[in-house]
Amino acid sequence: MLKNHPYFFLFSLLFLVLISFLFALTTGSGQLPSQTLISLLDGTASPLFQSLVFELRLPRALAAFAAGALLSIAGVLMQVLLRNPLADPYVLGVSGGSALAALLAMLMGLNTLWLTGSAFLGALLSIFLVFSFSHSKGSWSISRLLLTGIILASGWGALISFVLVISPPEKIHGMLFWLMGDLSYDRPLLPSYIILLFGFLFSLSISRQLNILLWGDLQAGSLGIDIKRLRTYIFFISSLLTAGAITLAGSIGFVGLVIPHLIRLVIGADHRLLIPASALMGGALLIIADTLARTVLAPQQLPVGVLTALIGVPLFLYLLRRSQ
Amino acid sequence: MSLQANKLSLSIAGKTICSDLDVCFNPGEFWGIMGVNGVGKTTLLHTLIGLRTINNAKNNSSKNSKPETGYITLQQININDFRRIELAKRIGMMLQEYEYNFPSTVIEATLIGRHPFINGWQMEGSHDKQLAINALKKVGLENFHERSVNSLSGGEKRRLNLATLLTQDPDYYLLDEPVNHLDIKAQLEILDLLKEKFALQEQCGVMVIHDPNLAYRFCDHILLLFNDGQWLSGKTKDILTRENLSRLYNCPIHLIKDAQHRLFVPLKSSSSIES
Repeated sequence: MLKNHPYFFLFSLLFLVLISFLFALTTGSGQLPSQTLISLLDGTASPLFQSLVFELRLPRALAAFAAGALLSIAGVLMQVLLRNPLADPYVLGVSGGSALAALLAMLMGLNTLWLTGSAFLGALLSIFLVFSFSHSKGSWSISRLLLTGIILASGWGALISFVLVISPPEKIHGMLFWLMGDLSYDRPLLPSYIILLFGFLFSLSISRQLNILLWGDLQAGSLGIDIKRLRTYIFFISSLLTAGAITLAGSIGFVGLVIPHLIRLVIGADHRLLIPASALMGGALLIIADTLARTVLAPQQLPVGVLTALIGVPLFLYLLRRSQ
Repeated sequence: MSLQANKLSLSIAGKTICSDLDVCFNPGEFWGIMGVNGVGKTTLLHTLIGLRTINNAKNNSSKNSKPETGYITLQQININDFRRIELAKRIGMMLQEYEYNFPSTVIEATLIGRHPFINGWQMEGSHDKQLAINALKKVGLENFHERSVNSLSGGEKRRLNLATLLTQDPDYYLLDEPVNHLDIKAQLEILDLLKEKFALQEQCGVMVIHDPNLAYRFCDHILLLFNDGQWLSGKTKDILTRENLSRLYNCPIHLIKDAQHRLFVPLKSSSSIES
């Protein structure tokens, strides 16, 4: 049914995103009645509420939305690139390089700007390593790419464990939090939104080619697609999106793997619809998960990755069951 | 206007596929390419459509592979000088096998054949959809539009692959064992469909096929690829003889003949050849 009404489906998801923003802005310590939300807009609310909503909750919800959307699009692209429905944005080790750099920054006690900067550079380093090792003599096969990525990811994993072990105990909590996804600290939003906008438009512009690439390199080639160039584009765009998400929120699991599947179960594998729908759904899921992460055990905060899985697993199993 | 191999020498993993192959495929013709397993029929098709670049001596990097020579032309123009997307409007291919790990419906899979004709941000229009619907009808899948591709049988998938190519509708149909997995009636239906299409004199078919009887019945021209890089091409009735086939497959072939039909029956290598 939804498949025949793509715009209705996209508008529903847009509505879901709005609802989740409202949920994020009104939920938390210091409950906010919805009338106050209206008074916020005309500036008559108390300064306390003003700063609570506009300086704390809104930036955090915006960060959650961007991270969710980035990871979901990256997941879609990575699954096409590796032609494997089990691929997620982290499978090629981008998150490992990024996490190692971020943990080292934490170990040295650098501020959040340095932390995000080094996380991004770590991701870029990892992308570069995977690309140059898997890309020999101009040709690169899927298995070679996957193998290079997985091997590098294990290398990063070992180094991360090493850093965790030698770190002083008082820093470990923050590090573990970062590794499971952390939206609690203040961060620059603009770079991530630039990456998101660029990545989204670019993926959308190649979405018909992505549909055809699912049928294999030869079919895509015989239909006039320059496969080598397309693959290189997909690799760099999905890696860049992943790097943007990790820099923003640490390595949040589950979203990038499951959101594309969830949307495919509902509307099929047409990327012209799959990409915008995944971005919206991933963004909404992460806003809701993050809001719950900071409220269910308040004042104790939970890593958002725990909540994405707790919400996503039953939702996914339900849809999987229904689609059979 | 034709698709042409010019002095083409190809090799794969040190084995020669063809030496100095000169062959010209013209509109209205239906070619059959025959040879034993691994002789390089598929590689030749991939080269004809530009999916495989010819390793000329100047860009040949690895030392152990033999240098390849020659070139492919379409309307006297080297196919390397075409943009890929322009080439895809003129030459299309039905591959030997397809891979697919993601869900898709039959009609969506058919519509990808329109890709070369649709500009960047455009969606498929009603004209494209009509072409896909017609193609599915021709191959007998008219009631399968919303079926999931993964739920199709081997033979139904083969018809779908052909429907995608019919939707692309290029000037040159390169067909890699198009009747694989089809039952004997379906084989005749599909080949009849193709033969009628090429008989309109506007398009041309180049088909890899193993069954000499089907080749004799449907193809008007034949290209034989022998194991040592030698080849033989020409009109079907000149090329498809008992002697040539026995040499091709290194196996005695018995020929049963009447006014319209030739029936080739392979014999055990040890038994004697009767004529």
